[in-house]
Amino acid sequence: MNFSFSEDQVLLKSSVRAALDEQCKPAHVRAMMEDATGYREALWGEMAKLGWLGLPFAEEQGGAGLGLVELCLVLEEMGRAAYPGPYFASVVLGGLGLQLGGSAAQKERWLPVIASGQARASAALLEDTLDWEPASTTTTATKAGDGWRLSGVKRFVPWAHVADVVLVPARGPEGLSLFLVDPRAAGVTLTPMVGIDLANRWSEMRLGDVAVPADARVGQAGAAGPVLEALLRRAAVCASAEMLGAARRCLDMSVGYVKVREQFGQLIGSFQAIRHRCAEMLLEVENSHSAVYYAAWALTAGAEDAAMAASVCKSYVSESVRKVCGDAIQVHGGIGFTWEYDLHLYFKRAKALEPLYGDAAHHRELIIRGQVLHSNK
Amino acid sequence: MDLNYTAEDVAFRKRVRTWLEHNMPRQIRDLDERKAWHRRLYEAGYLGMGWPKEYGGQGARPMEQAIVADEMARAGAPAPTNGLGLGIAGPTIVVHGTDAQKRRFLRKILTAEEMWCQLYSEPNAGSDLAALRTRAEDRGDHFLVNGQKIWTSGGATADWGLLLARTDPAVPKHKGISCFLIDMRQPGMDVRPLKQITGSSEFCEVFMTDARVEKENQIGRLGEGWGIAQTTLGYERGGRALARVTTYASQYHHLVAAARRLKRNGRPILDDAVARQKLGRIWADLEVERYGALRTLTMLERGEHPGAGGSITKLSYSEFEKRFMELAEEILGPYGQLTDGVPPEYRLEVDTAIGDHGTWAYAFLWSRAGTIYAGSSEIQKNVIGERILGLPKETRADRVGGGR
Repeated sequence: MNFSFSEDQVLLKSSVRAALDEQCKPAHVRAMMEDATGYREALWGEMAKLGWLGLPFAEEQGGAGLGLVELCLVLEEMGRAAYPGPYFASVVLGGLGLQLGGSAAQKERWLPVIASGQARASAALLEDTLDWEPASTTTTATKAGDGWRLSGVKRFVPWAHVADVVLVPARGPEGLSLFLVDPRAAGVTLTPMVGIDLANRWSEMRLGDVAVPADARVGQAGAAGPVLEALLRRAAVCASAEMLGAARRCLDMSVGYVKVREQFGQLIGSFQAIRHRCAEMLLEVENSHSAVYYAAWALTAGAEDAAMAASVCKSYVSESVRKVCGDAIQVHGGIGFTWEYDLHLYFKRAKALEPLYGDAAHHRELIIRGQVLHSNK
Repeated sequence: MDLNYTAEDVAFRKRVRTWLEHNMPRQIRDLDERKAWHRRLYEAGYLGMGWPKEYGGQGARPMEQAIVADEMARAGAPAPTNGLGLGIAGPTIVVHGTDAQKRRFLRKILTAEEMWCQLYSEPNAGSDLAALRTRAEDRGDHFLVNGQKIWTSGGATADWGLLLARTDPAVPKHKGISCFLIDMRQPGMDVRPLKQITGSSEFCEVFMTDARVEKENQIGRLGEGWGIAQTTLGYERGGRALARVTTYASQYHHLVAAARRLKRNGRPILDDAVARQKLGRIWADLEVERYGALRTLTMLERGEHPGAGGSITKLSYSEFEKRFMELAEEILGPYGQLTDGVPPEYRLEVDTAIGDHGTWAYAFLWSRAGTIYAGSSEIQKNVIGERILGLPKETRADRVGGGR
């Protein structure tokens, strides 16, 4: 039993930190907030070279063969930097989705190019009602010759405007299936959905009778449910890691600020009202750390409580990071509410991820379903 | 990072479980029976496990200690007695005592032949412990002690006390405090039980009038008492973290079972969306406490001391316990307040923190103590702010001038 990082893991984290400190400064984030595509190929290429883009894929697919703990270490640093770009969409949603459900040929086709940065992927997991239950999918897949035709509306598809392939759940005669869709295909209409986190991009994706070929189906017909559930668990934990990084940044900035800001002739960090708030923020950050890395380990190791741990993680982290980032604005006072001060970059990154892949309420319900099963045994 | 237990730890856990199955008493009716149980635990090698072998300990790893505590919690085993001897006085003597003190006191703590209490807090020195006024005057061959202590757990049954007293009123308050082992069975000691909100009297007031401490029973050097107290407060945290969560989990499953039977507005509480949300949240919090315990255990296994990080652990679990018990009361309604006549379905068979009363009502009331004893939540936040985050110290009137 060892709940601490290995030397390699510590090294990975510090190298990601160093690279992002250098190449993803707040000025870069701000530039990307106003950029048409929203990210830079230069940094993307650098990330490919450093092996981050293939981190969780098998070595024969150009990956590093590492687990979710390592992936979460990278994502925590990305949250800390409010990194703008399709990393989460491509590696977590697209990459892990293919890894979980794809055929050998599909993995061979996509994972190496995702790992090398030549292709970007994403997944369209939400529709109009925002229900995370895969069963709620209304997008349809109709058989057409060897392939299918997809129709429906997907919402909040991350970085679809730069993606080469999007995983799309759709309902066909055999039930819920998963398809690979080229977002530039005829019949696909992308409309930007602009949220408060401008360094993060979403699109509405309209599928109007979009033809997909025979080899576009991921996994067996009607068998997408378990794949999507497995993907959502991983996405929930990875999003929690990114939120944790944003929260740590908010805490660090707050602690730094209250050590220099004076009011009433004293440093405000000496007041218990401020100090106690900072102590509570640290407690939440440390507990969130435990929740993220326990769940990341459990999913990688296939532990018995892995599904439960993912829900514990996302429900705990969603609420605790909300408090930490909100408190950070509060202890800063007016300066924390200005556009020019960087705090809102991290506050908004955390907020953007809070409702995704299941919010706290969604995951608490999953916990209780698991509990009820447990006590029925 | 590998959160699986090693094969040795799994085997050890199995041995402990089997031993408990064969040896655990069904019921403990009085202190003598509890002492007998204590003695059996000691003879099996399950008490003072981390203490040196030459003084009756086992020299065991922190993981083995955690497993024993955890298995006891899992089985709902009665706690041993002499908690302050095992948890505070003993470890203090192990770390700071002389060889003679170790030989004199440690084994009798483990056998419960000598019971202990902790004489720290005073009526005007609670959170501000360093303001304590009990005097220990050097009288050549002994110290003469005068003063009053309060919130002394186990004071009524104690043979010995771990005492903090002021030996030098002229120096700044943190520097004039020394640590002693004092005989509770002497004429100068007047122990009066204090009734708590639970109706029981684990606490006492202790009045010391010309009480005597032999020179050989001074711990550490004169004026070093404050530093010693800081390390002993640390012993109260960390080691039992895993067992604590196992007890919470057992209580939680009782609560879910009750929520299935009890109804509100014509349907089981367990089908109510609001109750499900609250129960789901508490389970998440509880699991996070368990992960935190595993982190602490990882540190202890590597021979690291959690230090001020222990304040995060203590703040986290004690505040959690209050939230948990408030939810239990909400779900159980008036059943949650019963101290007697509890129908079996709503009984709490698990031992509470100090190991006696198995009712939700007692556990609920006791949860209010956790955020006060061993440094209140407010004190923990000060420690976290100052010692971990490095925030500036507040301007305090007592940071200038002497101990009086």
